[in-house]
Amino acid sequence: MRRVRPIAWYTVLIGLSLVFIAPLVWMLLTAFKTPGEATRVPPTVFPQEPTTSAFDTLMGNDQTPVLRWFLNSVLAATGQALLVLAIASMAAYALARLEFRFKRLIFGMIIATLFIPSFVLIIPNFLIVDRFGMLDTLWALIIPGAAGAFGVFFLRQFFLGLPRELEEAAVLEGANSWQIFTRVVLPLSKPALATLAVISFLTNWNDFIWPIYVLFSPDQFTLPPGLAILQGAYTINYPVIMAGALIASIPVLLLFVVAQRYVIEGVSRSGLKG
Amino acid sequence: MNLQFSRRGLLGLGAGAGGAVLLSACGDSGPNEKVTGGGQNAAPAPTAYTGPNVALAFWNGFTGGDGPFMKKLVDQFNTEHPNIKVSMNTYQWADYYQKVPAAVATGNGPDLGIMHVDNVATNAARGVILPLEDLAKALNFKAEDFSPPVWNAGVYNNTRYAIPLDVHPLGFFYNKTVMEKAGLDPSKPPATDEEYKAALEQMKAKGIQGDWVTPFEFTGSMQFQSLLWQFGGNLFDEQATKALYAEQPGVQALTWMTDHVKNGWSPKNVAQDADLVAFRNGKNAFNWNGIWTINTLKEDKNLQWGVAPLPQIGTQKAAWAGSHQFVQFKQKAKDENKLAAGKVFINWISQHSIEWAKGGQVPARAEIRDSAEFKALPEQAAIGSQIDDLHFLPPKPGIADAMATVVTAINEAVLGRKEPAKALSDGAAKANQLLEQNAKKYGS
Amino acid sequence: MAADLAVKEQARTEPRAGGRIRRTGTLTPYLFVLPYFVVFATFVLAPAVYGLWISLHDWDYLLPGKPFVGLDNYKALFDSSSAVFSFFWESMSATGIFTVLSVPLLLTVPLAIALMLNRRFPGRTFFRAVYFAPYVLGVAVIGVLWRFLLDPNLGVVNAILPGAAPWTTALPWAWVTLVGVTVWWTLGFNAVIYLAGLQDIPRELYEAARIDGGGKWAEFRHVTLPGLRPVLLFVTVNTILVSANMFGQSYLITQGAPGTETRTAIMYIAQVGLADYKMGSAAAMSYLLTVGLLLISAIVFRLFREKDAS
Repeated sequence: MRRVRPIAWYTVLIGLSLVFIAPLVWMLLTAFKTPGEATRVPPTVFPQEPTTSAFDTLMGNDQTPVLRWFLNSVLAATGQALLVLAIASMAAYALARLEFRFKRLIFGMIIATLFIPSFVLIIPNFLIVDRFGMLDTLWALIIPGAAGAFGVFFLRQFFLGLPRELEEAAVLEGANSWQIFTRVVLPLSKPALATLAVISFLTNWNDFIWPIYVLFSPDQFTLPPGLAILQGAYTINYPVIMAGALIASIPVLLLFVVAQRYVIEGVSRSGLKG
Repeated sequence: MNLQFSRRGLLGLGAGAGGAVLLSACGDSGPNEKVTGGGQNAAPAPTAYTGPNVALAFWNGFTGGDGPFMKKLVDQFNTEHPNIKVSMNTYQWADYYQKVPAAVATGNGPDLGIMHVDNVATNAARGVILPLEDLAKALNFKAEDFSPPVWNAGVYNNTRYAIPLDVHPLGFFYNKTVMEKAGLDPSKPPATDEEYKAALEQMKAKGIQGDWVTPFEFTGSMQFQSLLWQFGGNLFDEQATKALYAEQPGVQALTWMTDHVKNGWSPKNVAQDADLVAFRNGKNAFNWNGIWTINTLKEDKNLQWGVAPLPQIGTQKAAWAGSHQFVQFKQKAKDENKLAAGKVFINWISQHSIEWAKGGQVPARAEIRDSAEFKALPEQAAIGSQIDDLHFLPPKPGIADAMATVVTAINEAVLGRKEPAKALSDGAAKANQLLEQNAKKYGS
Repeated sequence: MAADLAVKEQARTEPRAGGRIRRTGTLTPYLFVLPYFVVFATFVLAPAVYGLWISLHDWDYLLPGKPFVGLDNYKALFDSSSAVFSFFWESMSATGIFTVLSVPLLLTVPLAIALMLNRRFPGRTFFRAVYFAPYVLGVAVIGVLWRFLLDPNLGVVNAILPGAAPWTTALPWAWVTLVGVTVWWTLGFNAVIYLAGLQDIPRELYEAARIDGGGKWAEFRHVTLPGLRPVLLFVTVNTILVSANMFGQSYLITQGAPGTETRTAIMYIAQVGLADYKMGSAAAMSYLLTVGLLLISAIVFRLFREKDAS
């Protein structure tokens, strides 16, 4: 790497960071203001009379079990991420490495559905989910979303880029497809799997249109539809809205901070380049 | 003379002279089988439930400050009725209206719910809700027990589908501190067009843009509707086959709003809710807003404000209002006990709706509106005094689709994209097409 | 190159046929695909086909009569006298404007950031997390946040900036807002994909370029860009798809204002299908949009293929 002038370099980096962070910091500060102060013109930066009343409003209501929603969100997002990893990796492996009839047709169909706006699927899927008795259960949030084409597409691409030599060596040692898949391909694919897991988790965590349709009981809600109820109640109470946004965002931000090493650096450490 | 007014005149007359009998006689002819879709709901409507224990699911969109008031009523009902257990679920209204039909279609619908009056006809036509004719009859409800426009808005195809709980009209909110700053008397909010404009001019002279006009549905299109009716106009004809809002009264109403911007009484480009936020911040003096705003403003202990009936800008008094109405949902398997218990619940809540009024509503029931207890709620009572000047949309399925064109027209005009007349006539042309589509779809 | 994304690439015989993995039972590949395919067929394929069927009807799932109307729902989209014509094409053009404005930015800005972050310097992990941070927030959060910040009369942004702009209520500002917020929000995702791609480029290639002495620009053109080609195709197609499906930002920040100028295709389709209960018409619009996206993506694939060939 070439030498960089540290001062100029960090000025650029920090300047850019402000653009990304400042709105989020503003969200944080607003959550601790009073409703009046939150919309004062000219604005105050730091809360003049810091208060946690916005959080009390969110948490202190037996009609709105925020912690329960939080737990449901974690369960649904984790469940879906795991399911996607399991089924998409198998399918992607077959599509990348094995030969069989209808392979092109199946892959073509999967890719084509990437282009269909998900709205058109909502009503038919609602009826299908009902048929399986999954309405108002977390299964409705875990299973249908795992059918998305992205995971298969993404992993197939990654598998195609893996060097064949290791797999070929395994063949010579008498390994079958399943053994090659689990002992050679998957270990090599940790970074891609981590990336896909994070993306699946985020997508599920932030989805709020589908959960609003399929979940009825407050006990089954995940955070986005749950917080939507609370926020609908306080349209111009910005501290409450921002506090709700914070509760929904902080866990995923933390997840990313922890996972990003695996997601990005893993790629370069995976021995891909032999 | 426009159609809606003549109809309301007729009903007002009828209410005084046995018109209610006429109405219920219409109901006797039975619901139109083809369109109700929901089947009959012929259980006798009892006022007390004596059957086996039942559990009822009650869904609504009371996410705001009103939620706890309803919850308290439900709890009290449950204590007083050991054999009925009502459990209440709350969703955002927009979500609720998408979720409920889907839930009903799959047999997962709740037993009871609340609907805004504009949605009753659509949901009746789609077979989501059940007729409540028998309940109205058993309790001997009459139009004048409520208020004729509210009462009649729950009737679709000569059949009653909804029992009014409340009305929530637009009111005129004024910030006393800002008025004082401009040298206006905060105890005398403007009541006529002249007074209104004089006040705005006086504030402008002091550098205050005193009446922020919002281009959005909340509450710009509600203000427009109020003005339209005040100028003697109407949104649609009574059969909802034609949009009338682009006619002269509509142009007058919308021009009145856009002139605010032109004359510097309102800033340009007011964003969603900015009018109310500015009101709370002491930047805006006047705000036409819904009765639900009472609770929002009461959060600010330091804010000096008042509320009055809408000023009369046009040739007659009129105000926009919504109304929450009770409905019963269609179930996969009919359960007479649940239906009967549900009706007991509706009647009981209706009788106790003074508690509901405290949450920032005007009770639909006249006896409660006239009670001393209601009059003791000054803000609610001020807005409630408009009860005879309220208007509702024609009870036609899909009418909300056509209303969206009004919202767009107002947005375009207030944001200066189009002249008021052009914005309205473009919107009305679209609305006519949508009305025709709906008439075909729902076989009106 | 094996790492090609192109669908057709699949069909070609592999260059090293001798090394092909043959030891697969005839059933094995199907067993690998089966679990995913069952879920896919149930929750994507079936509803998608059902959606096509719906688009041929005047379809409301609650009404007993769902009259078959053939291609009428599609014809109406091309009939300038129909109720949906101008709304639909206005919304399509809004989506088009948004896509044309946002895709180039979402391809280049994240690349610049990925190049910066690909260097080794203290605090790299921290900055990477910072730039990616907005992406982990849902659209519900960022939509409300920016509407609050950008309020033309009361927002913080106009309080700080010297000239006040009607960010959410007038053109072209509303587009600046929607595109800007989207870039701010989703840039991290593309940047991460680029980063992974950059770290796949063998260092030897850079060293070779340096010895050739081509300078930074030549290095970028002859090493970085070709090395990124596989991820570039993915990023391009994915960004186009995501932009064409834009909905939440308009819905929450501008509400489609002014008028219906920033109401995107998906926003209108959702209105027609889910709020007006005209699922047949909404499905027809969705499929027309799908066809459009397929065509555009095919062109992108073709462009990349030609570059490959040259």
